[in-house]
Amino acid sequence: MQEATFLILTALAGGSQHGYGIITDVEQISDGRVRLRAGTLYTALDRLRADRLIEVDREEIVDNRLRRYYRLTSPGEQRLADEASRLQANAVVAMSRLRPAGALR
Amino acid sequence: MTDTADLERRYRRLLKCFPARYRREHEQEILSVLMAGAAEGQRRPGLADSADLVMSAIFMWWREATRQPRWKWERRHPRLIVRMRVAIGIWLLVVGGILLDKGYWWGVAMAAPAALHFYLAYRLRHAVQS
Repeated sequence: MQEATFLILTALAGGSQHGYGIITDVEQISDGRVRLRAGTLYTALDRLRADRLIEVDREEIVDNRLRRYYRLTSPGEQRLADEASRLQANAVVAMSRLRPAGALR
Repeated sequence: MTDTADLERRYRRLLKCFPARYRREHEQEILSVLMAGAAEGQRRPGLADSADLVMSAIFMWWREATRQPRWKWERRHPRLIVRMRVAIGIWLLVVGGILLDKGYWWGVAMAAPAALHFYLAYRLRHAVQS
């Protein structure tokens, strides 16, 4: 799973959000590292919807502008949980191997 | 004309790059995101944002074109068409291999349509199974 996709799913794990909300949330989660552009975001959302990992929650009109809110589906939650534990397991191994090497120096 | 209206008009023009079906459903929504991300007094879309939109549009066209079997004969005889496409792909590769003698670009010129046939066969097989 690409990092952008992982971060989008993570943003939606906290509750439903609209496009711009996802962008700002992803930026915050990634500590400013990942700034999604509109085109990239919507290609990702389209793929995630086709894979049934997310769905449309509701629509609102704010200041004459359409906001469509997306939320995770249960397969989406499952997929994110699997991916998160996979990344965590990798990170734990990496850390444990780096520590003794650092101690030797 | 105000800066906002100027910017919106230019964004709309960029969004015309997307396939009609996709635009009907998402144009307003993407426009809101673009306008929300615009800087104060911005009148023109940034270069990076424009490039990102055009690339995404090309991607969506590609997705649109390969999502469903497009032609009636593909829907009617999917298995046959898959075999035919694979055969054509292999044949193109063989011809490309032979023509490699005559120059590198011949091989490349045959590889691209072969890849397309393999990809379309793969998509169709996928569509038949699901």
